[in-house]
Amino acid sequence: MEYEAVIGLEIHVQLNSAAKMFCDCPNRPGDEPNKNTCPICLWLPGYIPKFSQEALEKAALVCLVLNCHLERQSAFDQKVYYYPDLPKGYQLSQAHQPLAKSGWLDIAGEDGRPKRLRIRKIHMEEDVARLVHETEGRTPISLVDFNRAGTPLVEIVTEPDMRGPQEAMEFVRTLRTQIRYVGSSECSLEQGSMRVDANVSLRPRGSNQLNTKVEIKNMNSIRNLGEAIAYETSRQMGSLQSGEAITLHTRLWDAEKRLTVPMRGKFEGPCVPDPSVAQILISDELLNDLRSRLPEMPQPKTERFIKQYGLAEEEAMLMSSERDVSEYFEAVVKRNISPRTATHWLAAQMLPALKERNESLRDTPVSPERLASLLAMLEKDEVNANSAKEVLTRLFDSDQTPEAIVEQYGFKQVSGASELEELVDQVLAANPSAVNNFRSGQAKALSFLIGQAMQASQGKANPKRIREILMARLI
Amino acid sequence: MQSDIFVYMDSSSPAILESGPLTGKRVAVQPNMSVRGWPTEAGSVALRGFVALEDATVVERLRQAGAAIAGSVRMSELGFGLVGDTGARALAEGQADIVLMTDVMGEARVAAAAIGTFGFKPSYGIVSRFGLIGLVPSMESFGILANSPEEIAAVMRVIAGRDDRDFSMPECKTPDFSQVRENQEPMRGIGVVRECVEALDPAESRAFREALCRMEEAGLKVEELCLGDFDLFRTVHNVIGAVEASSSSGKYDGVRYGHRTAVARDWNEMYLRSRAESFGLLLKTYLFQGAYFQFENYAAFEKACALRARLLEETAVLFKKVDALAFPAIRQSFPPSKANSIQEIYEACALTLCANVTGQPSIVVPGFVLAEEGGLGLQIAGPHLSDARLLSFAFRLTNSAKGVR
Repeated sequence: MEYEAVIGLEIHVQLNSAAKMFCDCPNRPGDEPNKNTCPICLWLPGYIPKFSQEALEKAALVCLVLNCHLERQSAFDQKVYYYPDLPKGYQLSQAHQPLAKSGWLDIAGEDGRPKRLRIRKIHMEEDVARLVHETEGRTPISLVDFNRAGTPLVEIVTEPDMRGPQEAMEFVRTLRTQIRYVGSSECSLEQGSMRVDANVSLRPRGSNQLNTKVEIKNMNSIRNLGEAIAYETSRQMGSLQSGEAITLHTRLWDAEKRLTVPMRGKFEGPCVPDPSVAQILISDELLNDLRSRLPEMPQPKTERFIKQYGLAEEEAMLMSSERDVSEYFEAVVKRNISPRTATHWLAAQMLPALKERNESLRDTPVSPERLASLLAMLEKDEVNANSAKEVLTRLFDSDQTPEAIVEQYGFKQVSGASELEELVDQVLAANPSAVNNFRSGQAKALSFLIGQAMQASQGKANPKRIREILMARLI
Repeated sequence: MQSDIFVYMDSSSPAILESGPLTGKRVAVQPNMSVRGWPTEAGSVALRGFVALEDATVVERLRQAGAAIAGSVRMSELGFGLVGDTGARALAEGQADIVLMTDVMGEARVAAAAIGTFGFKPSYGIVSRFGLIGLVPSMESFGILANSPEEIAAVMRVIAGRDDRDFSMPECKTPDFSQVRENQEPMRGIGVVRECVEALDPAESRAFREALCRMEEAGLKVEELCLGDFDLFRTVHNVIGAVEASSSSGKYDGVRYGHRTAVARDWNEMYLRSRAESFGLLLKTYLFQGAYFQFENYAAFEKACALRARLLEETAVLFKKVDALAFPAIRQSFPPSKANSIQEIYEACALTLCANVTGQPSIVVPGFVLAEEGGLGLQIAGPHLSDARLLSFAFRLTNSAKGVR
């Protein structure tokens, strides 16, 4: 029998609000342990949680960009369980009345056609404390770091609409782009600001039934998500073929061994309405305000970039898939730089350099103004591409203008005819064999001669002009 | 310092505002109300050694009004139960002028009725719960015991109103407690719930009817009304109260404060032992009831929540016909001093817990419902936010009984 996979995702996204969800402590889980705590997030007796409007707005923006219906009224429940990562015996979550329902995302399907994947609901949840187990030494010790306790999360639950690893990976990529665009989270699986669990089951192709599912966890990259789903699909396939029944359980992805292993059964506690956090009401006013804060999203932006700037589809997608990139791009173009040049320099130079330096477009000293000034010189043939790269490197470490750097380091392109002709004549005189080679038909010799001339000019000559002069002399 | 009334007394003499509205008043609190630097154990081993970091908002406001916080009285574990409380004695024996007790199912009002004084539970949500170590968040509030409605009004005037540290307080207009003596607005009518009267034994019923007659003599219209679901209040309170108690006491795990067991193999055992050693049998039984509904019978809990909403609606219908409802506060046949089991506690509080279920204000007035063995307290309950009117009414009723108009 031919089977197909049925996949649904449960995605936890850490919101990047400044403060925690129920108190004013900084939302910085990575700080020195237990630095960001207060009586509220330690749940000392007598204190009352203060629901953060900022967290609500960040969460609501996620709901809107995932095309969900924001519920006008939602509420917190207590998910009851006892574990040292929970200082009060329950986790505040929204089980009965979630923040939003019925959303969707369009992804590029495997056949290239768009496919709409449905989202069942999105609810808010507080994160729990982090446990550190020290097993060295005679007595194992477990330490609790409450920095993360009470930081805001949203959990996005999809419908079981995905049929293979590719769709799941594409869904997560698309979702990440959307959420980053509204600035609610970085959505990094690697850094833990997003966690994706997948529910996988199999059914005969063409049937509509939903069979017993297995939950897989612990995938810390999109690639691992795809591999884990693929592994789990074939594992279940093997079980079915050998006549074994699939049982409801949870498995952990082992990224080293590249397989899933069963996890100890987790205790599922009840959820009861929480009487201490007031009901969450979304007013017309707030809803309108949130809608007005939605930026132009990547898909319409790509189309606009194609139309307005004449970019190729791939270029336009590259420039619009991150909001910061798109805004930087447009800021450069606004300063009369050709969109093509801007695209090329952003993609091939700026972004790799930022990555290497661990900087972001937001905080880099190379502002769009400075890059535009440099590119303007490039477009006016005042510097050549090689020199421009050198100037860019210096822009990262100095606050001089590109013009000043060009001046100071003598990067100004040599385009004057007499200077260049003199240079070419010197090169020709010094390399008679290369001249002969060229004349006997070896085209490579021209590149060599251009290289020699560029070297002689210390990289400052205009290579186009050099080539023209050389050709004139040689032919 | 040993006292069979107080667990802690303030030996320092705090600077008292010379002309505050509560200057000269000594207030006794319970050790589940935070007073900065005081041991705040809420009558439980689970909080042994816990010292409050800040004043509860109520305490802070009382101090600012000139009151002296004299000490904290003994209380039942986490406020559940009646026999361990000594708040009423502090008032009766002149150790305090005002006593604050948490009122989860009527404890403050029951205690007032038992010693023949005034006890008041305000509308839910008008007094900040910041600094109150509670057990049943959706039903409890600060209860006030005092020797006159004027004193209660003076306290309410100071403590009621929005607080930027209690984020659970709903937006509502705080009643104006400044005109409690002057307000002459008459009561249109006082309702009596037939199902309540029918449940009383003959002696109680006689005492209550005599009180109603005296009220009619004072010019009030008393009307008998039906509330078929009256006996559900108790069940609804028990189910929801136990569930909330089970949740809210989840934080007592002995990890960060309170009692922690001496030996345990792992953290699960540490939790189990610490909690087993911390809680008394009565509270444990109540928490077990809550856990039962949480884990095993959630449907019953949901039903209780739906019934609570229905009781609120039905009560609202009654308050369209009358301005207030009268009940006895306590039963002669279920004395609070002998309420040792959950069932007995609920029997003893059966008539006061209605106001906790609905969140409505309720006051106990002494001297009206008099049975052979002592007063049962006349309980007057009003609609939400009618607190000031209730206090005015209690003031006038008391004065008319004294013959002073």
